[in-house]
Amino acid sequence: PCPALTPLPSAPLQDIRNTVGNIPMEWYQDFPHIGYNLEGKRIYKPIRNKDELDMFLEKMENPDYWRTVQDKMTGADIKLTDEQVDLVHRLQKGQFGDVHFNPYEPAVDFFTHEVMIHPVTNRPADKRSFIPSLIEKEKVSKLVHAIKMGWIKPRKPKDDTPTYYDLWAHEDPNSILGRHKMHVPAPKMKLPGHEESYNPPPEYLLSEEEKLAWEQQEPAERKLNFVPQQYRCLRAVPAYSRFIHERFERCLDLYLCPRQRKMRVNVDPEDLIPKLPKPRDLQPFPTTQALVYRGHTSLVRCLSISPSGQWLVSGSDDCTVRFWEVCTARCMKNLPVGGVVKSVAWNPNPTICLVAICVEQSVLLVNPCLGDKLLYGATDQLLESYVAPEEERVQPVQWVMATMEEHSKGVRLVIQHSKAVKQVTWHGKGDYFASVVSDNSNMQVLIHQTSKRWSQNPFRKSKGLVQCVLFHPIRPYFFVATQRYVRVYNLLKQELTKKLMTNCKWVSSMAIHPGGDNIICGSYDSKLAWFDLDLSTRPYQLLRHHKKALRSVAFHKHYPLFASGSDDGTVIVCHGMVYNDLLQNPLLVPVKVLKGHVLTLDLGVLDVLFHPTQPWVFSSGADGTVRLYT
Amino acid sequence: SVPAASETTDLSHLINKLLAADKADHKYVEFDFLINGQFLRMPLVTHMEMENISTEEVVEIEYVEKYMAPQPEECIFHDDWISSVQATEEWILTGCYDQTARIWSLEGKSIMTIAGHTEVVKDVAWVKQDSLLCLLLSASMDQTVLLWEWNVEKNKVKALHCCRGHAGSVDSIAVDCTRTKFCSGSWDKMLKIWSAVPTDEEDEMEEAANRPRKKQKTEQLGLTRTPLATLSGHTEAVSSVLWSDAEEICSASWDHTIKLWDAETGDLKSTLTGNKVFNSVSYSPLCRRLASGSTDRHIRLWDPRSKDGSLVLLSLTSHTGWVTSVKWSPTHEHQLISGSLDNIVKLWDTRSCKAPLYDLAAHEDKVLCVDWTEAGLLLSGGADNKLYCYRYPATASDVGA
Repeated sequence: PCPALTPLPSAPLQDIRNTVGNIPMEWYQDFPHIGYNLEGKRIYKPIRNKDELDMFLEKMENPDYWRTVQDKMTGADIKLTDEQVDLVHRLQKGQFGDVHFNPYEPAVDFFTHEVMIHPVTNRPADKRSFIPSLIEKEKVSKLVHAIKMGWIKPRKPKDDTPTYYDLWAHEDPNSILGRHKMHVPAPKMKLPGHEESYNPPPEYLLSEEEKLAWEQQEPAERKLNFVPQQYRCLRAVPAYSRFIHERFERCLDLYLCPRQRKMRVNVDPEDLIPKLPKPRDLQPFPTTQALVYRGHTSLVRCLSISPSGQWLVSGSDDCTVRFWEVCTARCMKNLPVGGVVKSVAWNPNPTICLVAICVEQSVLLVNPCLGDKLLYGATDQLLESYVAPEEERVQPVQWVMATMEEHSKGVRLVIQHSKAVKQVTWHGKGDYFASVVSDNSNMQVLIHQTSKRWSQNPFRKSKGLVQCVLFHPIRPYFFVATQRYVRVYNLLKQELTKKLMTNCKWVSSMAIHPGGDNIICGSYDSKLAWFDLDLSTRPYQLLRHHKKALRSVAFHKHYPLFASGSDDGTVIVCHGMVYNDLLQNPLLVPVKVLKGHVLTLDLGVLDVLFHPTQPWVFSSGADGTVRLYT
Repeated sequence: SVPAASETTDLSHLINKLLAADKADHKYVEFDFLINGQFLRMPLVTHMEMENISTEEVVEIEYVEKYMAPQPEECIFHDDWISSVQATEEWILTGCYDQTARIWSLEGKSIMTIAGHTEVVKDVAWVKQDSLLCLLLSASMDQTVLLWEWNVEKNKVKALHCCRGHAGSVDSIAVDCTRTKFCSGSWDKMLKIWSAVPTDEEDEMEEAANRPRKKQKTEQLGLTRTPLATLSGHTEAVSSVLWSDAEEICSASWDHTIKLWDAETGDLKSTLTGNKVFNSVSYSPLCRRLASGSTDRHIRLWDPRSKDGSLVLLSLTSHTGWVTSVKWSPTHEHQLISGSLDNIVKLWDTRSCKAPLYDLAAHEDKVLCVDWTEAGLLLSGGADNKLYCYRYPATASDVGA
């Protein structure tokens, strides 16, 4: 009809669309149609009249056969265009569908690890970044409100109750303990001996007479309940005939064994320690630092006090000897001696005012001119009244009168030794004194007599390095401490009476009780040994209270006190009561640790000394001070 | 009734309000309060708990005007340690470790230096004061006491007498109330009584022939004087002496005792036994108590009339070192000052024994001596070579109830 309508039929032909949707197309297998078009009309399957041969011929002849696919929805054959074929090829190769899409564009490394000097954007910060966020504030306030109202529990407390329970919690502990307490182990069986062996040594085998005697004994009286027998080898041993019998007896033993416990004595170990009195009940003893005697510029090695207790003398490494007023710490005199002072000793005789000072190789006898004028005048007179003997005597040392200059300073006599002198000590009467020289020969200890200016060497042989010497306060005994032993000599009989083993490695100092029956020794291995001379030659007690080496020990003249000074900077005061009753042992109680000295050059306290009348103790230290504790 | 938690300031405000209501022209005054003779130093309720006072009863609280703090006046420099000080209304006499005694005016001007001792001067004392002539004493470690005459107008001193007899350093001297005798205590454990009246005669030394050095006699100043009496009984050095009465001497010693002696007969009357060395003792005729300073930290008060010896009435504890000297107030019966090795001078009221009224911490070294004059001047000297003077206004007694 009209040419304008001609393409119309083709258009619906072209646009055959199936409206069945995404369903398995097999459902239409048995129907003549394959679905419905947009108008709801059936779409009929194309008429398949081609047989296998036609198909083959078409495959062979149709050049476009490879690009013809069947549309499942309509059943029509569609010939793919070139673009569509290309697309299929690309997809098969795993490439992108779009030809123009390049997956390998050059990467622009926008953020680098390098720190740039300029910001990425120079945009000024937003105003909102300065203003606190209202939304956040609202959220927080909501949370706060919820916490306040108790709707939210911040940090819910963890439930610590264990999920398991104690099975034995409710059991009576006494019953368990009781059961354990009442456990009595079974009596042990006797282990088999040689006689039980299948091949016992011949001495265990019974002889004929013994066998006869065994057989005649009552079974209960027999020493052995079997006869030892010898077999050639273990294989030849027959079955044990007494096995049942023996097991029965074992059961009887277990059944009849005495069910009795051995009672142990229940003793608290604390009760075994002897009861010591409390320090509070042992007063008086020094407790606090009262005075500091300042003036020395180097370590103060030695101290001594006048017998009246008014003056104190100290010798120091700054080559001076200072005299102090005890009650005010006033330095009354400063005597330069031109050498390190190793030891000072004030004459213990109250009628003589004389101080012996060890300076290098000499001992100076100094009149300090302190105290009673009559006394120190008399001392000078005593020294001047010496008349030299007619015949010159050979002496191990030289006695030299002081020069005028020295005399004006107080020095009266100089006793020159051949080696350095390290200690000087007076006899109680104040005429004799002993000096110790650092030497290895028998010349280590010398005893001098002041009034006759006469020195002697009491020992023929050296018994070791002498550390210190001491006169007995009452009897004519002389104590010599070497590194490990203290030897007691009788000066009248001139013999060794005792040798005390200190149990220490290196004795540093020694002091004697005013009663004369007890001595204490301090040692460099921080021990203090107390000897009771009547008791034993071994220490009655070994006190280890100090942490470092002991430098000095001292006894009080009247009070039952002794003190020890150590490198750890402390002075330990102990109560040391000695009883007149010979059966009662001395009572030693540490009562006070006195601190105050500053550690200098790893040295603490170098000397300790008691006041002669008051319960006060002086200590001299490496820090150049002398301290008084009261 | 007052609130239990109130403290002294609250009570003070209360009293002031009451007084202001009474008198229109009342000025504000600070008060201190006493309960049963004890100063209130803490809230009322804690004080009552400590003293075991029942809150049910009526508690009497006494009020006194608060004592003003001593005002520092002068600091007098010496050349050496000051061992002793004694002041009068016009002059201060100090003994010094440089072997001199010195006279100063109250304004701190050096008037006179008295040299003559050959050793440290340990104690000084005024004997008599006139406008023209003054007599004074100085005791020294050289075992002598020198009696000096000081001409005020010419400003000259002359040694009148040299009192010999002690065999040790003379540590303390005290002049009796008649001003004719004095007593000295020495390291040689003796007390000696001497005449303080100057004469032209020289006493004979008994053992003059035995003296080792005759030279000393010619060198000595003044005429030799020997003691009238010697009191022996102490077993250790005598550290302090005083006349507690016209005829009674009190001495403190290192043997841990304070002994009371009859000066006339020389008998020992009683002994007070402590357990520490006594450094100093002071007697107040107002309250009739002895105060002692010893080598522990305490000042102890004693009743010298008690027969049972060793009864301490009170101990004042706040010092941290030896108490070297104590001195009662000559005008106030409850107050005393003490100097100690801890560099502090403390002003005490015996009604508050736990804490002093005032600490005078001016010294840089040990305090060795203190004095309190009737004019209300507190003096203290020590090892820092300085003598400090304080003006302490004597408050009038204004006790209410």
